[in-house]
Amino acid sequence: MKKHQQVSSIFWMLVGVYFTISGYRLGIGSLHKPGPGLIFFLAALLLTILSIINLVGTFRGKSVAEEDKKKDSLWSSVRWQKVVIVLGGLLAYACFLNILGFLLSTSLLMFFLYKVVEPTGWLVAGVSSITTILFSYLIFEVWLKVSLPVGFLGF
Amino acid sequence: MDVIHQLISGFYVVCEPTNLLACFVGVFIGTLIGVLPGIGPVGAMSILLPATLKASPITSLILLAGIYYGAMYGGSTTSILVNIPGEAASVVTCLDGYQMARQGRAGRALGISAFGSFIAGTLSIFGLMLLAPLLASMALQFGPPEYFSLICLGLTLLIYMASGSIIRAFMMAAFGIITGCIGQDPHTGSSRFVFGIPDLLDGIGLAPFVMGLFGISEVFMNIEQQLTKRSIFNTKIKGLLPDRQDWKDSIMPILRGSVLGFFLGILPGGGAVLSSFTSYAVEKKISKHPEKFGKGAIEGVAGPESANNSATGGAFIPMLTLGIPPNVTMALLLGALMIHGVTPGPLFMRDHSQVFWGLVSSMYLGNVMLLVLNLPLIGLWVKVLKIPYKILFPLILLFCLIGAYTINNSTVDIILMLIFGVLGYLMRKYKFEGSPMVLAFILGRMFENSLRQSLIMSDGSFLIFFTRPIAAGGMTLTILMLLSHVIPALRKKRKAIPLEEERT
Repeated sequence: MKKHQQVSSIFWMLVGVYFTISGYRLGIGSLHKPGPGLIFFLAALLLTILSIINLVGTFRGKSVAEEDKKKDSLWSSVRWQKVVIVLGGLLAYACFLNILGFLLSTSLLMFFLYKVVEPTGWLVAGVSSITTILFSYLIFEVWLKVSLPVGFLGF
Repeated sequence: MDVIHQLISGFYVVCEPTNLLACFVGVFIGTLIGVLPGIGPVGAMSILLPATLKASPITSLILLAGIYYGAMYGGSTTSILVNIPGEAASVVTCLDGYQMARQGRAGRALGISAFGSFIAGTLSIFGLMLLAPLLASMALQFGPPEYFSLICLGLTLLIYMASGSIIRAFMMAAFGIITGCIGQDPHTGSSRFVFGIPDLLDGIGLAPFVMGLFGISEVFMNIEQQLTKRSIFNTKIKGLLPDRQDWKDSIMPILRGSVLGFFLGILPGGGAVLSSFTSYAVEKKISKHPEKFGKGAIEGVAGPESANNSATGGAFIPMLTLGIPPNVTMALLLGALMIHGVTPGPLFMRDHSQVFWGLVSSMYLGNVMLLVLNLPLIGLWVKVLKIPYKILFPLILLFCLIGAYTINNSTVDIILMLIFGVLGYLMRKYKFEGSPMVLAFILGRMFENSLRQSLIMSDGSFLIFFTRPIAAGGMTLTILMLLSHVIPALRKKRKAIPLEEERT
């Protein structure tokens, strides 16, 4: 856990440093006339300082070796690979939505989620997918009059 | 008399067919969400936020508020029947509710929780009606320094109450302010951190932000676990109406829970979770038979369930009258109103009285609807509990994707939602809380504007925050709050509050 806290602290520290420098470059102005970068500069500086405090705090208490004896429970006992696969599918959906159109790309996504990520019976997968797609199409396209992308096939 | 007149006009508003439908759909979805473990009210509200964009402000507010207090009702069902709280505020109901179910008293537990919630919800609406106009008239004297100090106080209180590490909660709030201020500068017009993406000129949208942080991340957290079948307590649910003895045991806990929940709901960072925990502790403390708690005491269900519903009404007060949401759910409602061009604040009740009183009236009606929904449809909710998560998660994801796309008909919002989804997932794993980030994100622009305007007003002097009474009061409380963190006794007490992740 300690190692994880150190990694996360370093991540937030880097984010803080980036926004502190960028905020300063945007222009922090003066106290009489604050500039557009002031709020970023102040908030990011706070983020950086607190990340450092958090990082320093992780070096106190139990020794790292003692902590390392514990299993890496954050990632070892879970199926994080499933998360990566689903994320990949969702990113692909975002990329192909305008090209393939709503109906086709959504059908492919539902097939992917129901059959590849968590294998489900054909009947359940089919009924759930068709019902959801039709339901969402009726709500957004017909009722709320939101134009969903039609894609190169024209639907 | 004026209040009653306004309330009647509110009923006229809510009785319009669209609003009536929105109220019903809201409480129905809310109950459904409350029943379904794996998605909370915040996640559900964020997913449905885009669907309300085409509706009028009052209709969308009625719908979203319905989801919120509907989920409070529905959450108790899973706590009692499966020992899994549907949402965080129902955690404490598991203690006695599940024990009652094991003793064959599931019906009574569900019944008293529905009646208690109804009574508390109604009482809290009375409180809202009486207190909100008072606070709004006071807030008319507020200028930028007052708002700045109140935002500081609100954020600090939320962080303080948010549990977990206070440093990490502050880190999240700082990052929330950064993300909330991305986009065009309102004073100079210069673009800030838009990276050449025109969609970011108006800032990061609230919907993709919260949908990612709460909706997508919640799905990710669930699918990384083995999706096993939930075992539901197999008992015939009968006798939903509490008997005379049940009422005798429960009426005082219900009334105490209502008052306690209402006032704790007003406090930033308080809300439903804290109210239910406090009510349980109070009931146990003053009970003549504290040993019965945890073994199926009906008071242990009636008090907390009333408190968490009452907190809902209380939480509306600072949001509607000051424009400062006390918790993340209210922050979402505030965001929804702002999307519609309605800014809650001291003038809200005067300028948008129909929205305010329409909402209050819808809560009355929603409470009646919930009573009708929860008791006779208990069998349906139990069936819903049996739906496997592997069927549900693709549907949740699809609604998130379509919802994000429909805001601006742009895939940029989907990408943003996924980025925040991954961030939210990692934050949950590494124990960083999302609530301070969302509240800071929503208040970010207001925070920046009030700070800059105050500094311009005072010619660059920070003393302006200490020379005006209300601003000084807010800042003093903020500083005291921060200092209290270094006092060991108070720090210990704070640590006793369970983490949001542990609660759910």
